[in-house]
Amino acid sequence: MNSPDSTTVDVTPADVAAWLVERIAEYREAPAAEIDTTVPLAELGLDSVYVLSLCGDVEDKWGLVVEPTVAWDHPTIDALAVHLHGEIAS
Amino acid sequence: MTATDTTFRHAPMVALEQLEHHLGPAGPAAERSADDLAEEFPVADVAALDACDLALHYVPEEYGGRLRDFERSAALIRAVAGRDLTVAIAHGKTFLGCVCVWVAGSAEQARRVAALVAAKVPVSWGLTEREHGSDLVNGELTAVVDGDVVRLTGEKYLINNATRGGLVTVLARVTPEGGPRGFDVYLVQRDRLPGGAYEPLPKVPTVGIRGADISGFALREAEVHAVDDRVGEPGTGLETVVRSLQLTRTLCSSLSLGAADHGLVEAVRFASGRELYGKVLADLPAAARTLTECYADHLLNEAFATVATRLIHTVPGELATVSAAVKYLVPVRTEGLLARLRGLLGARAWLLDVRGDEVAQGVGEFQKVERDHRIVSLFDGNTVVNLSSLVSQFPMVARGHRAGREPEPGLAVAADLTAELPPADFAALRLVPMKGVSVLHNLAPAAAELARLAARDPDLTPVAGVVDALLAGTRELLGEIAVQPIVPPDVPPYAFALARRLATMIAGASAVALWLGNQQAMSADPLWRKGHWLLAALARLGVPADDTALDASHAVLGTVLRDQVFGSRLTSLLHARLVRERTA
Repeated sequence: MNSPDSTTVDVTPADVAAWLVERIAEYREAPAAEIDTTVPLAELGLDSVYVLSLCGDVEDKWGLVVEPTVAWDHPTIDALAVHLHGEIAS
Repeated sequence: MTATDTTFRHAPMVALEQLEHHLGPAGPAAERSADDLAEEFPVADVAALDACDLALHYVPEEYGGRLRDFERSAALIRAVAGRDLTVAIAHGKTFLGCVCVWVAGSAEQARRVAALVAAKVPVSWGLTEREHGSDLVNGELTAVVDGDVVRLTGEKYLINNATRGGLVTVLARVTPEGGPRGFDVYLVQRDRLPGGAYEPLPKVPTVGIRGADISGFALREAEVHAVDDRVGEPGTGLETVVRSLQLTRTLCSSLSLGAADHGLVEAVRFASGRELYGKVLADLPAAARTLTECYADHLLNEAFATVATRLIHTVPGELATVSAAVKYLVPVRTEGLLARLRGLLGARAWLLDVRGDEVAQGVGEFQKVERDHRIVSLFDGNTVVNLSSLVSQFPMVARGHRAGREPEPGLAVAADLTAELPPADFAALRLVPMKGVSVLHNLAPAAAELARLAARDPDLTPVAGVVDALLAGTRELLGEIAVQPIVPPDVPPYAFALARRLATMIAGASAVALWLGNQQAMSADPLWRKGHWLLAALARLGVPADDTALDASHAVLGTVLRDQVFGSRLTSLLHARLVRERTA
């Protein structure tokens, strides 16, 4: 079984955003610096299939079960980071 | 359970018998054929179903309907489909039209729709458009919100019941940019609109289900209420439709089962009455094997559809995968078995007015069964759509199996036909399975259980071996899926091949679960004894089986198939009496 990282207590939204940038940069095979955290995920070239995979990564990393609809409701990296951070904190 | 001549009676099959009893023998073939040739809606047959209040089985009990368990409603649709697929599709469409409301609507909306259905108003579902087909996210029918009023403008095309329907649930684009949160589902009640706001489009001529109302509609500033007529929260239309489709795709399998029931009867009757070279056709080894292989295909489809339908109640979170697999596999395999039966029937599959030695208008129904059934793999998400959906779920399916998990208690309930199903919880339907597919997770313990049974009863050794081979194949497939890259939108051909195999493995694993769940209750039944149906069914999926054991199973299947056809019983794993003798 996967277990989430134990050091989630002091996580900030910026940490979550940085982690998302890292994941997406790896998938896009692009430097992290080129990933804009304020534009819709679709404009970053992320389709719905990638979002499904990202949901799995979120569970592995943060122990959160999220539906792909989170990316519909929070469609930028920054927005998603704030939302996920809220979930992690609670 | 009752101790009658045939073990226990499954409640959905009892309901099917009651509907058969109410409907009585099917009407004259000549009338059905004449309606079909003239592309006339089957008014009398649909009225007969309305007289039995069949549509109440599309409405949940909490809103005054009779839909308590989906397996029962599926069995009723199957019975109608076994008589005439055009009629089943023409009538069953009302369930499709309503389902968004059951899944996401308010209690008030649900009661309103339930009242219309109880008043026999046909309900239609407006999803697809001429230019976009299954690509719902690019739909152009537009909703403009203006205070309490929403004006709908645009066209929906290839819509069943669009002309006859009194209520239509319509998917509409609410924001110009669209996107996954850019659509809503609206209730459009035609008697509340002024003339011209809802314009039915002309009937579209089709190869099969020619009498059905396949048309479309154009909305011109059709006004609905912004809150009372919107199903679900703003922006949830696509999500609601995707979750609703999980239910309808699962139920579509009952249309295929009915078509195969009908086709098998025609084929067995023909093969049993036809003499060639001094022998009855059905007794020639190749013909007999064709019949029993088609029967084995059908039983596999039935087992898979049964488990999938029961999973609606017990493991709804996995229905995204299971419904795509069942909607892909069951119609396609039914097309395959009907094509093989067509070969056996020869010219009889092509003649309108000949059935065996009988010559009368419209008695040659096999051609109609095959034509009518062609639509089933197309509508409600076609084969490519369903395979693409499975491909998109690969990362989650593979992840679920890497992680391992506890046995899913809901699977055991789904697989045990004597277990009462809990009420369906539509809020638990998920867009993707978060923990993989439990019926695949369960295959290893299932194989171990079969091995234990075989250690006590050597007659089960062959079927235990086949289940072991299925398990090996499943492990290999999950390994291949796990190393797939996250695919780009242009799905490569090998991913489709993997998706087909995934659907096949889910079907096989479902059949294994069903056999294990009921083999004790069904131990007096020759199909179930020694795992005969399971062995023959899994072999049809390409799982290697011992030839001698397979021959023995086919011999049993052949006897049971004939007994069912000539005993006016459903061609099924379970017992159900039919009132099927047709008059010419």
